[in-house]
Amino acid sequence: METTKTLQFEKPSFFQRLKGMLGVDFYRLFHTPLFYIFIVIAALIPALVSMGAMGEGETAGMFSNAWQIIAADSPLYIVHNMGEYANMNMVFIFGGIMVSIFIGHDYRSGYVKQLFTTHAKKEDYMMSKTLVSAFSMVCMCFTYLIGGMIAGAATGLPFSINAGSLLCAILGKMIMSLGWASLYTFINIIFRRKFGISIALCFVLGTGIPVIGAAALLGNTAALNIFLYGSSVYACLSANFLSVLVCLACSVIWAIIYNVLGSVILYRRDVY
Amino acid sequence: MNAIEIRNLTKHFGAKQAVNGLTMTVPQGAIYGFIGENGSGKSTTEKLICGLIPKSGGEIKLWGKDHRDQEVRSQIGVLIEAPGCFPNYTVWNNMKLQAANLGLKNENAEIRRVLRLVRMDGAASNKYKNCSLGMKQRIGIAFALLGNPQLLVLDEPINGLDADGMRIMREILTDLSHCGTTVLISSHILGELEKIATHYGIIRGGKMLREMTAEELNADCPTYVALKTDDTEKARAILERAFGRADIDEQTGEIRVYHASAEDTAKYLFGNFGIAVSEIRTAKISLEEYYIDLMKEGKE
Repeated sequence: METTKTLQFEKPSFFQRLKGMLGVDFYRLFHTPLFYIFIVIAALIPALVSMGAMGEGETAGMFSNAWQIIAADSPLYIVHNMGEYANMNMVFIFGGIMVSIFIGHDYRSGYVKQLFTTHAKKEDYMMSKTLVSAFSMVCMCFTYLIGGMIAGAATGLPFSINAGSLLCAILGKMIMSLGWASLYTFINIIFRRKFGISIALCFVLGTGIPVIGAAALLGNTAALNIFLYGSSVYACLSANFLSVLVCLACSVIWAIIYNVLGSVILYRRDVY
Repeated sequence: MNAIEIRNLTKHFGAKQAVNGLTMTVPQGAIYGFIGENGSGKSTTEKLICGLIPKSGGEIKLWGKDHRDQEVRSQIGVLIEAPGCFPNYTVWNNMKLQAANLGLKNENAEIRRVLRLVRMDGAASNKYKNCSLGMKQRIGIAFALLGNPQLLVLDEPINGLDADGMRIMREILTDLSHCGTTVLISSHILGELEKIATHYGIIRGGKMLREMTAEELNADCPTYVALKTDDTEKARAILERAFGRADIDEQTGEIRVYHASAEDTAKYLFGNFGIAVSEIRTAKISLEEYYIDLMKEGKE
């Protein structure tokens, strides 16, 4: 059959390992209907929001500018009306659900068991999931943006805006995808096969309720920017380059924290 | 060189001690039959070796290196319980994903090779969820063989296989062993294990009860005379008085006499009591019988 083997050990580099894992995760992402469903949902959210704004109820007239569907005028952590809340940040709520289902399948199918018997490291797994989840949320931000522009045009709202601030707001929110993705990956590492709990928790955290609650107690303070929801709100229509840097710092720092914590948990707990 | 060396391995799940000071040595190139009752700690030990669960204490070395070392991890092929496949993907695509994780070069050729080995090359385009239990088990073995690993850890790989599947499995494992691959295999189908294993480890309560080579097991398994008469119970009682131990095999209805030759037994029965022997043969107790006896001894 084969000739006798000699023992040869190879140590794959970090990039070799990550390349393989990212390849698998991106393949899975693009080959799951879930990804496309959530992309469409992200595009439909602004349409639903603007329909509410056109109605006659409490939400009527909540937007005075089409770009308010994308981001709030100013960084208001205390929400006074739906208009201040219903913007691109909603992508992060649905993104959490998507990430939970995506990672939950790793555990339900036994794929993690197969993966961690290879040379794969736990930190590679965290990183790969975070990057792929962040990518999927950035895609959702794009479709939300397109959906928002169409909805804005359909409602006849004015599009007048400072282009630089708008760009910073969109960029800031997209950058926040990394931090949110790491949080959701971390939550899924904790609850693993119980992804119903992960979905519920991601949903609650994605809505920013804890930060909104804190804002109700502490007031509208910039200190809340240390949290993912705080920085996501900070990326608003009055944003500037500093806002983007704040989002970048917040997103990257939380991504590192959650990746380190997630890796520690994966090393200490039973994988399967 | 030993492929696996385990010293004082412990693993507890809360208050439950699953592995309790296990010591085990698997030489390179061996087919190591890992035997034990349900809940004895076999699967836990295998998961510990593969790094799927962290150990509570002790040491696991693979080829003299720590079992978590990446260099050795890339040399292990594993099938524990069912293979971890995505049900909606084809067999081929599932294998492509694992090949990517392993960082294999020429992955298509490698996948074709292992699928051919387990006679699953015709089912590559089937969705995993549509495969039968036996097919899934073969796919799991193909997964474990990807990348030609130096160590195979197989947990109940024969379960669900038909007779032909078992034969193929035996051939594959024997060939791999001849090429220097080490195989750690746990199974409750001891008759199959006996045909291929070169070493055995019997575990109970998370501890190694006995570790031996196939030769040592052979020497340890007593021979017996199996015979049939018209009056089984009477003959058994007579033979027990004469030779010390005589049992009735409930499945075959044969009397088994230990520590005696076939000729002596037949002569004694007919010469002294006029009991004619209709069938007589000499045999050795099987691994399964040896194992059952060992378990009984421990419980008593």
